[in-house]
Amino acid sequence: MFFCEIQPQGDYIDLHRKRYGYRPDHFERKRKKEARLVHKRSETAQKALGIKGKMFAKKRYAEKALMKKTLIMHEESSTRRKVDDDVHEGSIPAYLIDRVNTTRAKILNNTIKQKRKEKAGKWEVPLPKVRPVAEDEMFKILRSGKRKTKQWKRMVTKATFVGPGFTRKPPKYERFIRPSGLRFTKAHVTHPELKATFNLEIIGVKKNPNGQMYTSLGVLTKGTIIEVNVSELGLVTPAGKVVWGKYAQVTNNPENDGCVNAVLLV
Amino acid sequence: MVQYNFKKMTVVPNGKDFIDIILSRTQRQTPTVVHKGYAISRLRQFYMRKVKYTQQNFHEKLSTIVDEFPRLDDIHPFYGDLLHVLYNKDHYKLALGQINTARNLIGKISKDYVKLLKYGDSLYRCKCLKVAALGRMCTVIKRIGPSLAYLEQIRQHMARLPSIDPNTRTILICGYPNVGKSSFINKITRADVDVQPYAFTTKSLFVGHTDYKYLRYQVIDTPGILDRPFEDRNIIEMCSITALAHLRAAVLFFLDISGSCGYSIAQQAALFHSIKSLFMNKPLIIVCNKTDLQPLDGISEEDKKLVAEMKSEAMKTVIGQGGEATNDDGVLLTMSTLTEEGVIAVKNAACDRLLNQRVELKMKSKKINDCLNRFHVAMPKPRDNKERPPCIPQAVIEAKIKQAAEKEKRQTERDLENENGGAGVYSASLKKHYILANDEWKEDVMPEILDGHNVYDFVDPDILHRLEELEREEGLRQEEEGDDFEMDGLELTPEEKKTLAAIRKKKSLLIQEHRIKKSTAESRPIVPRKFDKDREFTTKRMGRQLSKLGIDPSRAIERARSRSVSRGRKRERSVDRGDTDGGDAMEVDTPNKKQRMLSRSRSRSRSRPPTEVVPGEGFKDSNQKAKALQKARKSNKNRNKDARRGEADRVIPTLKPKHLFSGKRSIGKTQRPNALRISTASKSHLSPAFSLSRCFSTVLDGLKYASSHEWVKHEGSVATIGITDHAQDHLGEVVFVELPESGRSVSQGGSFGAVESVKATSDVNSPISGQVVEVNSKLTESPGLINSSPYEDGWMIKIKPSSPSELESLLGPKEYTKFCEEEDAAH
Repeated sequence: MFFCEIQPQGDYIDLHRKRYGYRPDHFERKRKKEARLVHKRSETAQKALGIKGKMFAKKRYAEKALMKKTLIMHEESSTRRKVDDDVHEGSIPAYLIDRVNTTRAKILNNTIKQKRKEKAGKWEVPLPKVRPVAEDEMFKILRSGKRKTKQWKRMVTKATFVGPGFTRKPPKYERFIRPSGLRFTKAHVTHPELKATFNLEIIGVKKNPNGQMYTSLGVLTKGTIIEVNVSELGLVTPAGKVVWGKYAQVTNNPENDGCVNAVLLV
Repeated sequence: MVQYNFKKMTVVPNGKDFIDIILSRTQRQTPTVVHKGYAISRLRQFYMRKVKYTQQNFHEKLSTIVDEFPRLDDIHPFYGDLLHVLYNKDHYKLALGQINTARNLIGKISKDYVKLLKYGDSLYRCKCLKVAALGRMCTVIKRIGPSLAYLEQIRQHMARLPSIDPNTRTILICGYPNVGKSSFINKITRADVDVQPYAFTTKSLFVGHTDYKYLRYQVIDTPGILDRPFEDRNIIEMCSITALAHLRAAVLFFLDISGSCGYSIAQQAALFHSIKSLFMNKPLIIVCNKTDLQPLDGISEEDKKLVAEMKSEAMKTVIGQGGEATNDDGVLLTMSTLTEEGVIAVKNAACDRLLNQRVELKMKSKKINDCLNRFHVAMPKPRDNKERPPCIPQAVIEAKIKQAAEKEKRQTERDLENENGGAGVYSASLKKHYILANDEWKEDVMPEILDGHNVYDFVDPDILHRLEELEREEGLRQEEEGDDFEMDGLELTPEEKKTLAAIRKKKSLLIQEHRIKKSTAESRPIVPRKFDKDREFTTKRMGRQLSKLGIDPSRAIERARSRSVSRGRKRERSVDRGDTDGGDAMEVDTPNKKQRMLSRSRSRSRSRPPTEVVPGEGFKDSNQKAKALQKARKSNKNRNKDARRGEADRVIPTLKPKHLFSGKRSIGKTQRPNALRISTASKSHLSPAFSLSRCFSTVLDGLKYASSHEWVKHEGSVATIGITDHAQDHLGEVVFVELPESGRSVSQGGSFGAVESVKATSDVNSPISGQVVEVNSKLTESPGLINSSPYEDGWMIKIKPSSPSELESLLGPKEYTKFCEEEDAAH
């Protein structure tokens, strides 16, 4: 019932060392163990397979890189180096000095093209181009009817945003089904200047680059422009009004990641 | 009672290890092989399982942490306060709270991602979702990394806390630093507390155990306390305060009356008064230590006064417990831990007072009545003054005395050695106590090796016994032989002698005869059939040849015939039998034996039992042989079951012959697919024999045949045409025949009509050209004639050939037969 043996209490190891000192071969053993450590590690490095090997190699690599950097840092303090002169902007190497700069005839042409391009793209967005999503990737055909022969129903296989006021049509006549499991109402929005990420509510889908239909369906794919509620951020317009909604561009594939990441367009 | 043992708590891994443990477990304990060709539901399930399993493991691990760490509100207040003092309650609670939150978050993540996985439509997407889910779980754990590290440190520290039972009998030692508290606990218990001549050597609580009146007491050594406000006290001092506040114990307040600890008696008295509220309701003893330096009587008057004051305070606690105010024995005690003077007295006083107090408390409690009414200690009063010692019989006493006397030591060789001058002078005899038949043998020299043999190999403990047995047996046998001799010795009459001789002669004759027969039976001169294919070696020929040589062959023929193998039933053909039948040996045999002869064939000699040992086989006895045979049979068993030819037959047959498992099943055959093909195949296998006979019987000579299976019989100027038996056989039952009108001309190879059968409709081509003269009108009514007699009643048309030379190009019966065979084989 009651335990009788003396159980170690307090800093018993320290106390023992204080009284009797280290065991005679303690330092010898320690030295040997440390010397062996290198070989042990190399053995593990050689033996580790698969993911374990990868993880180990990565760790080793990081350690070595750090060590090299520190070594260089220490060396830097002792070695002497020539101070780099500041290079003036627009300076030309010696072998190009005698050349006469030619003006391009086509330069005007290029600028015109540039302008047209700018006109075409309404927004200057972080992701100017996106992979087009085919319809059969976007939709899954559902068969209906008693014999399952009718094929006019479509299910959206991507993440969608469905507004709070959405009411379903009668299910029998609903052409596009947006599964509730793939609906998102919040997005992780990064402010590019603040370099901070906020979990903001989505207000609506402004444009899906794959087409108007997807915009109206509220499909969230990579590159989609969404409107988010930034009232939390406390942004203010030059006039002094609090900004409520702001556009952001989706930067990930929400259906693969299970969350919506976006960059605020400022 | 709850045992407070914090040593059993599981290790809390740090954030990185935590993740590694969980993820590698997921990798190890969930399936890892998946292909994109799998059904989508299977893919989803595969990844869902991974997510769920990871979450479960996280949950389990985090739950153990949350559950195993004690809740400060639930444990004994002493421990609660001690842990608070050591680790800060708020911080501790926060850390555990974070763990709990992480657990919930991970649960939520798992739920969300399992939901999303239900909509995964490809392996890629499912995998992406799994990676995202596990990644988010790991992030959660990474965030609580500092809490985990903190908890691990606490765990390690808690494991080293002394295991104090707050409810047991406890003696608590307190006082200023360096007043000899640890020396005292080291004196009365086995606790090994460090003692050093400076303050705060003891930094935490220490526990030792001591015994008093067969009861165990827990002695607690506390760190020294300084006299300062409660808020300024450090953690080390707070440990003592906690112990003082919460443990119901006998308190020993240590007073260094010599002042060598660095604090005057006045200072120590001040401390006493400042913490005296903590001594309430506890037996308190003021112990004046270090009397070896300064006896109590030698201190100054002021100090004496202070000590008296303290004593009176201590008395109050005694009164508070309902003790008598006058009894001040165990309140102020002096001792010196250095000289151990008064140490035991202090211990005893403390234990006594604690025990008294606890007993009193127990007596006051309500529960005591439940126990008390069960107690009864009987104390019988002596009846008179008569002594009643235990009765021991005289015999037993004597026996005991005798036993004691006998117990004297046996004299050993060593004793003898010592008596006679020790080792080297006296050599101990090891042979002295040998048990032998003759004592003289004891000293005999017994060689171990004799004539190059190890003697012991030839020593048999029962050798004499066996010899005796053998001799007895021998005697018995000799006796028997003597009897025989006697019987032989009986005089035989001359007649008897004669009969005996006759019998013996007969016997030897029989044996001889038998041997001859036996030897010839196997070496009969027979010409093996393979050398006599044309049956040239006949008796007739032999007779001819012999007679040609001028020898009468009759005897030889007779003999040969008598030996002929092919005559008669096999059993009766045996040479033995034939001869015994004719021989006179039969006449001698008893009728009984004759009957046996009739009923049983003699063709086979009596067989040996299979286990009988034949020299040269290498078996020791029949037993061994039987075993060997059994083993051989056993080893063959499996091989025979698998229909192997021998050990070397390792053929793996086609386990699933393709033709039996491919193709569709036709109507009515459920056992195997494409039964039709098999049936036709088997037919074609069998066909050579069948078709041969059929063709022989139904291809008539004198007709000409076309390769499209028509026959032509050319008689005079008219040629009759029909279809062959072979054709009708293949067509099956003919149900309709379409024939041309007479007068129409037909050309060779051109079709003139058609035959419709249950199986097929086929055109009938004319083998020769000419004009149709007559048509078999019977066929239109009964087309079955073609089946029943294709060559006679089943003829179809008669034509007048325009060029009879065409007949030459047609096939003859032999050629047609061959053609049919080839065709059948090709099918």
